[in-house]
Amino acid sequence: MTGGVVVGGWGFVIAAYTVTAIGFLIYGVMLITKLRDEQSRAAADGDKQ
Amino acid sequence: MRKAYGFIVLGVVLLLVGSYVGLFVAPAEEYMGQVQRIMYVHVPTAWNWMLAVLFAFGSSIAFLFTANTKWDARQEAGLEVATLFAFLLCCQGSIWAKPTWGVWWDWDPRLTSVAVLLFAFLGILALRQFVDDPQRRAVWSAVATIIASVDLPIVYYSVKWWNSLHQQQSNPNTVSSQFHLPLRVNAFGVLFLMIGFIMLRTRLANYRLAREMAMPPVVSADQAGELA
Repeated sequence: MTGGVVVGGWGFVIAAYTVTAIGFLIYGVMLITKLRDEQSRAAADGDKQ
Repeated sequence: MRKAYGFIVLGVVLLLVGSYVGLFVAPAEEYMGQVQRIMYVHVPTAWNWMLAVLFAFGSSIAFLFTANTKWDARQEAGLEVATLFAFLLCCQGSIWAKPTWGVWWDWDPRLTSVAVLLFAFLGILALRQFVDDPQRRAVWSAVATIIASVDLPIVYYSVKWWNSLHQQQSNPNTVSSQFHLPLRVNAFGVLFLMIGFIMLRTRLANYRLAREMAMPPVVSADQAGELA
């Protein structure tokens, strides 16, 4: 910091956007995978009955 | 399901557009320089985190009044999405804090109250894993969520009530008009993403609940002996 002004900082910006994107991506993929598992399980249970 | 995927796709597109404008088109802030661009993901995440907490709170109240398990599924979805958003909020905040405050974390009232709610919600999600009876689990979890949500007004007003390190609430009245567009576009992007996530997570909870309800009741060894 120089004279109360933050100089540079693109690394922090990239880190914040990357963490956010990775967080959303991992959660979204995990959600869709679990949901598909449950759907195929429900379909298999339905077939048994 | 298509609606949920539609919301997610719309959210991602808006986030890409908003982030592009925020990173490459909007000017840098006078004092914080480039680092201020973190605001375009941090503030929309914060606003929508509050909405997710309110959704979990509202679903809890609705469950206690109606005893309808659909509200329990919605509450579980709201809890999980709010926990994800709170975690991301803390990460983004820490990354923003380091170049501006000189530390990754400070026990400032705003940060502390968000952390309290994050751990409270993690605790409620853990509680849900340990209780097998769906009815009891739903009631306990709803009551715990209502109690934990009392922290939300404290989070919101913490920057007004205490003269803390964290800046005042960011909204169109407190930030320059040149920053409005990326902030608004990303706010709607995160909102649509959150709606899509909650819809998918509610569906997942409903599937699990239906499977639990369909399971034969657990018979103890004594009861099994009596039956035989």
